[in-house]
Amino acid sequence: MSSSSPSASRPVVAPGIDQSLADRLAEIVGQRRVLFRPSELLSYTADGLPSYRKEPGIAVFPGTRDEVVAVVRELAARHIPFVPRGAGTGLSGGALADGVVLIGLNRLSRIISVDPENCLATVEPGVVNVALSRAVAAHGLHYAPDPSSQAACTIGGNVAENAGGPHCLKYGVTTNHIIALTVILPDGEIVTLGSTAGEHEGYDLVGAFVGSEGCFGIALDITVRLSRNPEAVRTLLADFMSIDSAARAVSAIVATGIISAALEMIDQATIRAVESSIYAAGYPTDAAAALLIEVDGAAAGLERDVATVEALCVSNGARTVRIARDEVDRVRLWQGRKKAFGAMGRVSSHLVVQDAVVPRTKLPEVLAELHRIGQENRVRICNVFHAGDGNLHPNIAYDAADTAETARVHVAMGQIMRACVDAGGTITGEHGVGLDKLSYMDLIFSPDSLATMCALREVFDPERRSNPGKVVPLHACKEWHMAPQARPAAR
Amino acid sequence: MSVGTAGRVGTAGDTAIATPMTPSAATAALRDRVADAADGGVGLRIVGASTWLDAGRPVRASEHLSMREHAGISEYVPGDLTLTARAGTTLAEIREATAAHGQLLALDPFGSDEGTIGATVATASAGPLRTFFGSPRDLLLGVEFITGAGVVARAGGRVVKNVAGFDLSRLFAGSWGTLGVITEVTLRLHACPEADESIAISLDPSTGPERVRQLLRRLPFVPYACEIVNEPLSRVIEAGDGVRALFRLGGNREAVRAQRTALAELGDAREMDAGVWRRLRTAEPANARVFRLSRLQTEIDATWAEANAIASACPGTLLHASPSRGVVRCIVPAAHGDSATALAGAFGATATATRIGERLPLELWELCATPPASDRLSAGIKRTFDPRSILNSGILGEPA
Repeated sequence: MSSSSPSASRPVVAPGIDQSLADRLAEIVGQRRVLFRPSELLSYTADGLPSYRKEPGIAVFPGTRDEVVAVVRELAARHIPFVPRGAGTGLSGGALADGVVLIGLNRLSRIISVDPENCLATVEPGVVNVALSRAVAAHGLHYAPDPSSQAACTIGGNVAENAGGPHCLKYGVTTNHIIALTVILPDGEIVTLGSTAGEHEGYDLVGAFVGSEGCFGIALDITVRLSRNPEAVRTLLADFMSIDSAARAVSAIVATGIISAALEMIDQATIRAVESSIYAAGYPTDAAAALLIEVDGAAAGLERDVATVEALCVSNGARTVRIARDEVDRVRLWQGRKKAFGAMGRVSSHLVVQDAVVPRTKLPEVLAELHRIGQENRVRICNVFHAGDGNLHPNIAYDAADTAETARVHVAMGQIMRACVDAGGTITGEHGVGLDKLSYMDLIFSPDSLATMCALREVFDPERRSNPGKVVPLHACKEWHMAPQARPAAR
Repeated sequence: MSVGTAGRVGTAGDTAIATPMTPSAATAALRDRVADAADGGVGLRIVGASTWLDAGRPVRASEHLSMREHAGISEYVPGDLTLTARAGTTLAEIREATAAHGQLLALDPFGSDEGTIGATVATASAGPLRTFFGSPRDLLLGVEFITGAGVVARAGGRVVKNVAGFDLSRLFAGSWGTLGVITEVTLRLHACPEADESIAISLDPSTGPERVRQLLRRLPFVPYACEIVNEPLSRVIEAGDGVRALFRLGGNREAVRAQRTALAELGDAREMDAGVWRRLRTAEPANARVFRLSRLQTEIDATWAEANAIASACPGTLLHASPSRGVVRCIVPAAHGDSATALAGAFGATATATRIGERLPLELWELCATPPASDRLSAGIKRTFDPRSILNSGILGEPA
């Protein structure tokens, strides 16, 4: 903490955010680990979603568990709100702190223990996703959830967001891999959720905490289930002359009972962006869509699954099906998918990525509707997404300096969300609600359902100080009175 | 909006089809029942197929709330591999509907398929298929429920991936009806594999489940199910005389053939009919005491030894171990003379494994794991969702 006097341009901050708090936090974590000057805080005004900017009042970066505990307790004593943050790669504005304290957890990057026989690992929240898989690779294990940002994002952030990834189709999302948590509640109490020692009965507090987007407290350590590395992996790229036939191939593959490790769709606009970038993966640029399909598991029988998938692609209109020859070829095919958003970013100055899920049978009609929405609003919607579970990621590249175009993008995004909800879907499959999806929560949940969520949050955080203003719209929380006596008497 | 105005008026005009925004008329009627009970402070016991009524769980309730009529599949689109059903729908009804499309709901809790999906989810009951497919918590996509204050709410949705809002679905799965009356659930289905085969391998009685666990840890596949049964249970399920390792293997034919070859390391395999799993699920005699012992997977031999000590004290006890989960389930027949004393003695001696009761006399509940809903958060959640404590209160061992 190097500020001696707050800048005159300091934005509105929450009560109690002042030099004396900064000094106190510096006593806990050291001067260098507290940022208070606006110029220092600039890097922490956005996460992976550039369309929102919020300036924290103070950013603090504890380096040990004890420091996290001391910071949270100090804030509790002063009733000051805070926002936990991992690597800041989130795509819903969930880690933005608006004039409150930002607690960066990326320095807590220790893998505490690995138990390869029981396939368990306990880690601090700041451990980078891919670092855990690397650390356990020698045991033939990996940590399955693999968000696209896995080279940077943290397990703590993954827990907060219930992160997914391409391979979650077969292996499940974050919540399916978390066994136990030690959590510091916003009031400073430390609790253990779940058990590392086998089955137990009772409320699934781990399940409630995972995906709570930082509103329930901060995980101090996380025990995850590790997965065995597959004995064999086969990756296919099938290209189609229509999106509709690609979507039908997806349905046909899912229906066989072969659970693909990944089943991704990439549309023409995305293919062209990728192929004209440094990430060129050899996707055919004249195809309307391509499917990237991976099957894995025991080597015995895998070739039969590959043959079945290939045949289904062909019978549903695939022009060519290319099977990766070796690991180098496989990595190259995946690079086109994994770097798609990076490639899209080169097309225009700004990129907005949406995250909705629709029933798989509705994919063809929803994709057609997305195309129509794009035309109507004169914006170019590209699609690269987890087709196997119906998780769409429509994205629009645009120039934020062009206010008219920006306005059209926002209108289109709202229409996309409504189209997905009308098809029986949901507003977020893996990015979380954060700030970005708040206004859509009313589309899928009744006021009572939202109020119920608020009530659950208040068990963990009665003062609503942890990540305030996220997940559930404020208006839904105002009138919640659980006690039946609070109901009107006239009945 | 408040709980008090939660749509009690106008139920007659409700549409028959529930939407995320409007409960069905049938759900609204149940809601009124719960709201009345809350007003009067009347304890309700939520009942599906009555399976758990005689389990000895200490429930404080003066009325039953039957869910049996609140039944039926409300939506099933085979291409989506999801199914939505009202709570009173039996597992048999779901099995029949999904089998017609070559699909299955991978939940096979102990007991018969006449059990309801609502109870299966509420109790998070899982059977042998849990080894591959996970528990109800992993398969539940969305839930509609009525809180103890008479509010209808929903969580999750009807799609296979969803992080919108806090995960009340997982909280409700395994809450034993203490937080709300589950009225409808949406579940993930799986397509039936090309080959689905069951085998029994004879194990040397001196070989514990640890050897099987170690083999499974090494092999490149996970069986659909793997249960090790002791000799009395093996006889009951017609798997032969002696300790047996039962496997259910799924995949394409070539894969399953390779799985069988890999498992031959344990011993000679005998073909089993698919009915062996139904026999295992329904093996418990009337009035049996049933509980599970749990530890880390790698400690399965110690857990198996503890279970066998109980079996020695209580002859006729049926045991089966799930090696990849570290759990041994114990079924102690009630007919045994002085069985209560013998079981209590044996129970007292098994000090280190976590004990999870299924069906027990009242005095043995106290020897089970710490009342699971007694911590601050669980107690707070119970108070929040059921402020008058009228829903299945006491069933998780929580104090009044």
